[in-house]
Amino acid sequence: MSITNNQALTDIKVLDFGWGLVGSITGKYLGDFGAQVIRVESSKRMDMPRMNPMLSMSSAKNPDDKPWFTHLNTSKYSLRLNLKHPKAKEVVERLIRWADVINENFSPGTLTKLGFDYEFAKAIKPQIIMVSGSVYGQTGPHANRGGIDGNGAALSGYLDATGWPDRGPVIPNVPYGDVLVPLISITAVAAALDYRRRTGEGQYIDSSMLEICTHQMTPALLDLVANNNLQTRNGNRVIHAAPHAVFPCLGDDQWIAIAVFTDDEWNHFCRIMGNPSWTKAPEFATLESRKQNEDELEERVSQWTRNHSAEEVMKTMQASGVPAGIVQSMQDLYEHDPQLKDRGFLVDLEHPVIGIFGHPAPPFKLSETPAQVRTSPCFGEHTRYICTEFLGMTDNMFNALEQQGVFE
Amino acid sequence: MSQGLLSGYRALDLTDHKGFVCGKILAALGIDVMKIEKPGGDPDRNIPPFYQDRKDPENSLYWAAFNTDKRSITLDIQSPQGQEIFKKLVKNVDFVLESHEPGFLDDLGLGYQSLCDINPRIILTSITPFGQTGPYAHYKGSELIVSAMGGVLLTNGDPDRPPVREGPDSNYFQSNAAAAAGTVLAHLYREKTGQGQHVDVSQQEVAASRSPSNLLVWMFDKKLIHRSGNIRNVGARSTRQFWPCKDGAVFWMFAGGRERASVNQALAQWMREVNFESPFLNISYWEAFDVIGLPKETINLYQESIGRFFMKFTKKELAEEGVKRGVETCMANNPADILEYVQLRERHFWIDLEDPDGQKTLTNPKHFFLCNHTENYVRRRAPRIGENNDDVYINELGLTSMDVAVLKEAGVI
Repeated sequence: MSITNNQALTDIKVLDFGWGLVGSITGKYLGDFGAQVIRVESSKRMDMPRMNPMLSMSSAKNPDDKPWFTHLNTSKYSLRLNLKHPKAKEVVERLIRWADVINENFSPGTLTKLGFDYEFAKAIKPQIIMVSGSVYGQTGPHANRGGIDGNGAALSGYLDATGWPDRGPVIPNVPYGDVLVPLISITAVAAALDYRRRTGEGQYIDSSMLEICTHQMTPALLDLVANNNLQTRNGNRVIHAAPHAVFPCLGDDQWIAIAVFTDDEWNHFCRIMGNPSWTKAPEFATLESRKQNEDELEERVSQWTRNHSAEEVMKTMQASGVPAGIVQSMQDLYEHDPQLKDRGFLVDLEHPVIGIFGHPAPPFKLSETPAQVRTSPCFGEHTRYICTEFLGMTDNMFNALEQQGVFE
Repeated sequence: MSQGLLSGYRALDLTDHKGFVCGKILAALGIDVMKIEKPGGDPDRNIPPFYQDRKDPENSLYWAAFNTDKRSITLDIQSPQGQEIFKKLVKNVDFVLESHEPGFLDDLGLGYQSLCDINPRIILTSITPFGQTGPYAHYKGSELIVSAMGGVLLTNGDPDRPPVREGPDSNYFQSNAAAAAGTVLAHLYREKTGQGQHVDVSQQEVAASRSPSNLLVWMFDKKLIHRSGNIRNVGARSTRQFWPCKDGAVFWMFAGGRERASVNQALAQWMREVNFESPFLNISYWEAFDVIGLPKETINLYQESIGRFFMKFTKKELAEEGVKRGVETCMANNPADILEYVQLRERHFWIDLEDPDGQKTLTNPKHFFLCNHTENYVRRRAPRIGENNDDVYINELGLTSMDVAVLKEAGVI
């Protein structure tokens, strides 16, 4: 695990109690940008991505054959530690003394029950920065409710807004809040590290998925408060563009997304379709009239797109500055997309059990201190190494604790 | 405790709607973010909805939503005089945020290298549809386009219809959070070494990075996840998660296993108490009940029955009674429900900001996260066009009011 020292987070040490998606990804990004991250795991409470046999190569029993876990936990060390063991405290105290940052997303209250909450950590290390991720936040009447990505999406209004006006909402097949919360949490942690540098003061950060997700609803909320207009699902349409939709193309489940905002874009769009006579009709002359006749507009455009490949439509449209994009599948992303390939979206890493495979790079690039993504650890892989090299235990101390079952 | 984590730092914000939120997040952390608008106002002040439905650049609620806490100056950076002023501003700021087509700033002599020559500590953050490099770098994008190209759109929607976008501008929002993260990480490094850098965010990449599990299903098993309406498609474990009710919908994950035993038992008990007949009631040993391994027809039978049961109630009844009974039904809030939601109110999530007319106030979300030793939240409404011109040009840059008048006359500010 060699790390060069020109990373944004070089010398920053993270004690990572994260699990699932929110916690795992928060710790992972910190590691990808150079922090030393110790992920705490226990066989008493295996992390779901370590156990989920989603892929045919994964077994129900082996915690180390899950590419999903690996994607979510790059650039970390793994420490096996049973937090409920009476002697765990000896290890946790050393971990806190070692750490600059603690990352966790247990259900609110869990760390207090275990005896390792912020107050405990602060008493040991006053400058500690701790970030807690949760669905509802650490306080308030619903803080203790369980929840996952879908709860955050439902409560924040995201789900109600997604789908067709004549049908119920649809649930996206990709995570939403689970991948957003980590980005806000690392922003807060990095800002807190700078604040600590200037003031010597630590920080406790409470990141709530519900609240973070609600921010993106602000235009709809203001529309309600100011205009008494209650927005709801509107398919692919938006008020200020037409056509603004997804159209069928040649092939099975092949689609092109097209978004025409300006008159200039509309004129190019018509030209590329060969200026069919309907485009000159008054029903389609202005954005306003296109909005009024949008069903017919979309049907007409579909008749044209149906005879073309999505790639061809995208390339011709984009060559004239009309926003258009293939509705890409994971196969397209993985095998065809020249843009993602050129920019190194996937980083090949060798995992001792799974072998070499691609891992998504963090979704922002730093020119002088690029991410250095390293493969994720096997379950408990660095337990002895961490205790003796980072935490200053002697071999005898480690062995004694191990015999008592602390590292389960 | 009245300052944010990054109070005292300053940013210039050249973004259009693709990049408004990054500066909003940074401003909530205490950074002084100066929005630079074209003379006459940012063209994206034309994005609806409008305050009291009055279409006017000062009334865009989209603009108001995502430019809170910023100051506004007008400046034409395409004019030579405007460029000189911009360069003067760059000397005294820590960050520049932008979302122009790659190369646009370089052509004006304001690219990363030029900014670096003026201020080697500068951090330039670029938020664009496809990033600064690569064959699609100059492609045009929008929320819909980056969602399509990033692999998010195809799997979203009903199986019998075209893919459908996420309601809010979610991929914009995610990529702006990514940009804020990159900006603050770069800042940490700068404070340590004196070296600035260029932060490059591709909105397509942000979207693509949201789907690690779907990507892996293709990489390892050559299978594609398909649109599945209100079922979250996760292979063999796919069950319904979203259910219509009398007046809306609720989120409720249908799953088995020991962890869900008490939830399922509570639902069955509820059905029993109101004499609702369901095949679900035939299950007796909940600890052993699991949907994994059940034939699809059986899962559908259960789901059809649970769906009929939920249809008997309103979303509020399901949320309140459901939680009381341990069923954990969760309301799908619409904007009106969000404003009333007790959890957000109790956490003081709302702040009243002045409306565009300066007459009344409008309720806005307040914080992105809570912090114990600093205050990081939205405090001020979005600025009017050039509202802070005098502040910045006269008080900070030292121009005279005569200079400003001349520059105004020339259309530079």
